[in-house]
Amino acid sequence: MTLPSERRLPWLFLILLLAVVALAGWQWRDGAPLSANLMELVPGTHPDALEQRAEQRMQEPLNREMLVLVGHADRQQAVAMAQTLGEQWQASGLFEKVQWNLQADLPALRTQLLQGRLAMLSADDRQLLIEHPDVFIQQRVQALFDPFNGFTLVPSQDDWLGLTGRIQNSQPQHGSVQLDIGSGALIADADGKSWVLLRARTTGNAFDMNLPLQVAALLGASREQAAKSDVQLLAASGLLYAANGQQQATREMTWVGGGATVGILLLLLLAFRRWRVLLAFVPVLVGMLFGAVACVALFGHMHVMTLVLGSSLIGVAVDYPLHYLSKSWSLTPWRSWPALRLTLSGLTLSLITSAIGYLALAWTPFPALTQIAVFSAAGLLGAYLSAVCLLPALLKNVELRPAQWPLHLAERMIALREKLLERVRTPVLLALLIAFCVGGLVQLQSKNDIRQWVGAPQQLTDEAQAIARITGYQPTSQFFLVRADNQQQLLERQAALSERLEQLVNLDKLQGYLALDQLVSPPNQQEQVRAALNKLPQYWQPLLDLGVPLAALQSELQQLQTVPAEDIDAALAGPLGEPYRTLWLGPTEDGVAAMTSLQGLNNPALLRVQALDLPGVMLVDRLGELNEVFAATQISAAELKLASCALIVLVLMLPFGLGGALRIVALPLLAALCSLASLGWLGQPLTLFSLFGLLLVTAISVDYAILMREQVGGAAVSLLGTLLAAVTTWLSFGLLAVSSTPAVSNFGLSVSLGLAFSFMLAPWAGRHEHTATVAEPAA
Amino acid sequence: MNVLVKSLSVLALLTMSALANAFDLQQLSAQLAKPDVIHGQFIQEKHLRALPQPLISKGSFVLAKNHGLLWLLKTPLQQDYRINAKGIARRDDNGWQLLPNKSAGAEQNRLFLAVLQGDSSGLQRDFELALSGDAQQWKLTLTPRSLLLKQVFNQINIDGGALVQTIELLETQGDSTVLRMQDSNASQPLSDAEQHDFAE
Repeated sequence: MTLPSERRLPWLFLILLLAVVALAGWQWRDGAPLSANLMELVPGTHPDALEQRAEQRMQEPLNREMLVLVGHADRQQAVAMAQTLGEQWQASGLFEKVQWNLQADLPALRTQLLQGRLAMLSADDRQLLIEHPDVFIQQRVQALFDPFNGFTLVPSQDDWLGLTGRIQNSQPQHGSVQLDIGSGALIADADGKSWVLLRARTTGNAFDMNLPLQVAALLGASREQAAKSDVQLLAASGLLYAANGQQQATREMTWVGGGATVGILLLLLLAFRRWRVLLAFVPVLVGMLFGAVACVALFGHMHVMTLVLGSSLIGVAVDYPLHYLSKSWSLTPWRSWPALRLTLSGLTLSLITSAIGYLALAWTPFPALTQIAVFSAAGLLGAYLSAVCLLPALLKNVELRPAQWPLHLAERMIALREKLLERVRTPVLLALLIAFCVGGLVQLQSKNDIRQWVGAPQQLTDEAQAIARITGYQPTSQFFLVRADNQQQLLERQAALSERLEQLVNLDKLQGYLALDQLVSPPNQQEQVRAALNKLPQYWQPLLDLGVPLAALQSELQQLQTVPAEDIDAALAGPLGEPYRTLWLGPTEDGVAAMTSLQGLNNPALLRVQALDLPGVMLVDRLGELNEVFAATQISAAELKLASCALIVLVLMLPFGLGGALRIVALPLLAALCSLASLGWLGQPLTLFSLFGLLLVTAISVDYAILMREQVGGAAVSLLGTLLAAVTTWLSFGLLAVSSTPAVSNFGLSVSLGLAFSFMLAPWAGRHEHTATVAEPAA
Repeated sequence: MNVLVKSLSVLALLTMSALANAFDLQQLSAQLAKPDVIHGQFIQEKHLRALPQPLISKGSFVLAKNHGLLWLLKTPLQQDYRINAKGIARRDDNGWQLLPNKSAGAEQNRLFLAVLQGDSSGLQRDFELALSGDAQQWKLTLTPRSLLLKQVFNQINIDGGALVQTIELLETQGDSTVLRMQDSNASQPLSDAEQHDFAE
């Protein structure tokens, strides 16, 4: 018996489905609109535009560059391999620039040194020149005889006063990497090997979908090639983490999605013993399609993490067909449309409450969860629509004769529960449960760290650490942002900061730092140098004694008087400015800005103190801020949970009245509390993700309480329906617990626990007085 | 680029290592390999293009096989230098002060010591070596191979007999340095003071 509307519904739905498929096809026209950018997932800490620009500038190299050390006991072999690999990589087309040796442009260096004689003199040398000009000259004389003074780029006759040599020698040392004069390679010696530095800059960044995998593959091939010559490669790059993340996401999606699918299909076959019942999987596929299309439509792309977490939707989506399929135990003979009619209100309520639960996630400040919420809500809608409009038509002529063992199982469980209740009454059980909760909750520890988002494999982190140790490059994510009205003030402020950082370096709390004031001094100090140089003729007799012609010294002095004051842009233009270029942010809305970058930090708290009373200086510590946001969000997540429950109560009041609605919602909340306590007992930390998981489980398990309360077809059948729903949901969420990303695994664990408790507590949902009789006329 | 160290490296290389690629180089290194310690005087002439007369300095040196080099400048100013495994040090009132490891200097130092330890690969990669003359009067010419080195100097010439006599460095900028080793003798062991200097 099929109503006329039920004849039209499948066709209407097919038209909708076709439209969505077409939309999906259009969305995927240029390949998969997937993204792997971790930063897209974490909450924006709403930095201002300048801070954001600074952050991007600092992160860019991490996401685009790869640092490789090519190591062999024999230096020459290491250099040769670095050269071979460098050439291969350059030819691969993946990289914009591959550098294994320094092509020093000596003429350009000379020009910059001569031009910068006033501006680039270090603070110490400046002080010496101003305060002790006699010592300054004396040291110059000494240097002219010193056989070990090292090679100076500018010949003596162009710089009798030796200013360029001083500038050259005061350039900060970067790490323990040294120039190999012969090959021009940058080499560090450690662990009995010579490590040649190979740097490659990719054409795109780590968040292009294919690039990281290509780079990782190329590196893998290079490793093998190098190993044949006994050469070892160490590599570090954000790209490698991205590649690993992508591979891991794909692997886990396959496992979670595949595992859940196989498990659910098997369950369906075992329970209903009809091949056609596998069609119940249609709503799942439609749901995934709707979710993906909505996600791409709203966000322009879908994050891989959304896919991983979203694959758990499979278990929830299959609950809709299960709602009426499970009625086959009480409805004999079972017919699809009547069974649907009987369960439609429950299905609809279930959709609404689950959607509320998912959408509550959308209000958290986590873009990741917003995406998952949209994906899931749209997915549920798609699954619901196909379960309601299409599936009954597909199952129209199927007569279900389900296996009886699940029903017996459910009956036995109910009997067991009755027996238990005879001995121990509900209030006592509740008291015991509350004792369990209290005991667990006091042991519960909260832990939040951005690192939970990344399941970085040991090998990658080990190599990155080895590189940091060997080269001394230990970039930190924190940096200082310095703002000022003009360049003079900016350089003064950076210098004030540098002075403090220098103390930290001396105390071994910091390995090093890079700031513009190390490269160029503020205009007023350049003038001081000029003035001090003018006084030198009183002191330069020792130079004349060596035979340096007076005319030469005088003309050099005259020339120095006409060297123009150098600004930041000019200083950065030369080759010596290269490492500093990223630091300069240039003119801003209200002046100028620059950064001070840090190396090898071991105490972030110390940094914060440095900036406290320095005007215009602020520490940018995105990781630290994120962790704070995480902690703050935990509280708002709890509030959100309560709000969503209130909303669900409002929805449920319509069919069940206030008392019934409260009871139905109280059970999932209690289940959530039990899960929290279990985490405590298990010694697992409470993270933001466990909380989100529980937020979700509340919404899903309201469904179980409704099923139990409705009791369509008797207690045992309802319990069986609940059991099936819980098992399928658990199959998909529970599998997330095996993820190697701590955040995802934590999420899976808390949902699993929540589901288990929800199922156990569901029979206490009470019994709804049905106005409609269960005895549906047979078809 | 510290040319002096570079040439001393060559010297040390010839003294003790196996330059296996040519018979006469091998012969030369065998000849120079004998002494453990060489004492001598040096005159350093720095010819700067813009100066009518060279900057001349004098002093003495001690090259010890397993210890390193002491370079004691006497006139026109007094200054002692030492190169060993720790790096380049300069003596002041408080004793030996290790100079900060500047990239190029440290690289030279590393090279020098690598050579002292018989690792010849570095030098042969960086230079073309050409030997002429005989055991009593020979001349070794080093021409830089790498682009970077070529930008710094043209050639290094080393002359000698039983021991090294002169080292001449020709820089690309037109300046040059001549080191004359005089009264070199290989007969004296390290004095206590010298041993102390190396040990400190």
